[in-house]
Amino acid sequence: RLTQVRWSRYNPSFLEPEVNKELYQKPWEELSEEEKEKLELKAVRPIKAAPPTVSSSVFSDPMISKFTNMMMKDGNKVLARSLMAQTLEAIKRKQLEKYHKAPEDEKETIECNPYVIFHQALKNCQPIIGLSSITRGGKTYQVPVPLKDNRRRFLAMKWLITECRENKHRRTLMPEKLSQELLQAFNNEGPIIKKKHVLHKTAEANRAYAHFRWW
Amino acid sequence: MAAAVGRVLRLGGRWSAAVPGGPRAQTLRLIYTTTAVQRKNVGASGPEKYTEEFIKKQIEEFNLGKRHLANMMGEDPETFTQEDIDRAIAYLFPSGLFDKQARPMMKHPTEIFPEQRKIQWGEDGRPFHFLFYTGKQSYYSLMHETYEKLLNVEKYQDQLTAQDFSPHKEKRNLAGSRWLTKIELEEMLLEKLSDNDYSRFIQLLEKLMTLSCGDIQDKYIQKFSKEVPAQLQKVAIEPLQYDERGVAFSTGKGARKTARATAVVYDNGTGRITVNGIDVLHYFPVLQDREQLLFPFQFLNRIGKHDMVCTVSGGGRSAQAGAIRLASAKALRSFVTEKEVEFMRQAGLLTLDPRVKERKKPGQEGARRKFTWKKR
Repeated sequence: RLTQVRWSRYNPSFLEPEVNKELYQKPWEELSEEEKEKLELKAVRPIKAAPPTVSSSVFSDPMISKFTNMMMKDGNKVLARSLMAQTLEAIKRKQLEKYHKAPEDEKETIECNPYVIFHQALKNCQPIIGLSSITRGGKTYQVPVPLKDNRRRFLAMKWLITECRENKHRRTLMPEKLSQELLQAFNNEGPIIKKKHVLHKTAEANRAYAHFRWW
Repeated sequence: MAAAVGRVLRLGGRWSAAVPGGPRAQTLRLIYTTTAVQRKNVGASGPEKYTEEFIKKQIEEFNLGKRHLANMMGEDPETFTQEDIDRAIAYLFPSGLFDKQARPMMKHPTEIFPEQRKIQWGEDGRPFHFLFYTGKQSYYSLMHETYEKLLNVEKYQDQLTAQDFSPHKEKRNLAGSRWLTKIELEEMLLEKLSDNDYSRFIQLLEKLMTLSCGDIQDKYIQKFSKEVPAQLQKVAIEPLQYDERGVAFSTGKGARKTARATAVVYDNGTGRITVNGIDVLHYFPVLQDREQLLFPFQFLNRIGKHDMVCTVSGGGRSAQAGAIRLASAKALRSFVTEKEVEFMRQAGLLTLDPRVKERKKPGQEGARRKFTWKKR
């Protein structure tokens, strides 16, 4: 059995804070059984402090914060946040351009909200199945393995960022390239979607080794 | 040689005399044991050091001494409590020592002499308990008992389903109780346990509790659970104060890492925030910090209704913002109903963040980073 090397300054009995305002406005009768139990537990246990990246305003989004943190280099959060803001602005501008140029009947199909585009693009990039290297009898096989939700989100974001950092022309700035990639992913085109399909195909090809997985 | 012995003595170890075996050897040999090697509290390290008669004698002496002490202090011997004893001893034997354990104390012998197990074998050398040779007899017998209870509950459940009675599910209040900690269990069993043993036992208890007919074994389970008082978090909320113009205000203090902040929140305001005499837009140019300052107000839907004047020192940009956030949340408690205070607490606005910079350790480059590994 392994002991934990990672520890935290909080006592293990502390629970995670819930920042969303709407959950607190629900009257008691509307809650389901599990939520009532959770509420009772929360009333007794101490709760951790809310982290400084999280806020109850409409503008704070957990996915966007996670993406900003992954883009950050050497702890320069100011720069990462400004890049993110410029990316969202660029997406909005491009979509508005398209909106104003489009004929009447197509105007409703064009999505202008950059947050919706961001979420949808990330969802389109997430792989369903991944490969894991397992060594048996000296040889390493690539075994197809189902991925957990947070692993999928992480892979999608990681691919986006590496794609934007490496495969771009020297003069293009990050927001421009990122907005381009996000719009392409939103329409299910682009190099990241291709990478996802390639991963799915290799997983399908390696189906024979699937029985090596023991978890 | 003498210096080494002196150094070793200062470490606080204990010297005990030992007679090596054999009828011919007449010399005594000094054995040194450090405090690290000595085991704490738990008996069963060997034959009893404190016999029952010894402890009874100590208890009688303690009670006599208590009466003498009460007479000396001029108080009634019948109603002389432990706190009175502590006060009397502190008065009669004043000590400037730092460690409370090093000062003279007079306590009931059961608190001073740790509980020890009696000798577990008879005169012929045969042990009494059938699990003696496992080494942890009380732990294994406890596991066997608990498992037996589990099997009984399952049998009862099967009987009920055979008679087509649906087992009733009464949810016990999980929120108010916790299991015994490993140390408490060790004290109960008078045996050393490993982490693995402890977690196995807790798993068994959890399994017993999750079964729907576990209510039968309620009494047994209660032996191993403790109440967690729900009144822990009741902090007194200060009432509103009023300044010369008649405007209500309240103060709050907050801290984060090394930053310390005080905030004064005024009612009937326009939402202006001043930090150290400087407007908030100039003091916190970064959007994230201003978001954090406004977080408590936004959570309570009171953005344009309050004015705030704060002072902050120490820490960095983000730490100061977090400190002011905590201070303003604490100040806002006086303006708001109890339910909303509870919502704020559950949102994490009223907890002091205990995370501080971890110290650098010797032999490593930083707190966690080790030096580069070189093969040669």
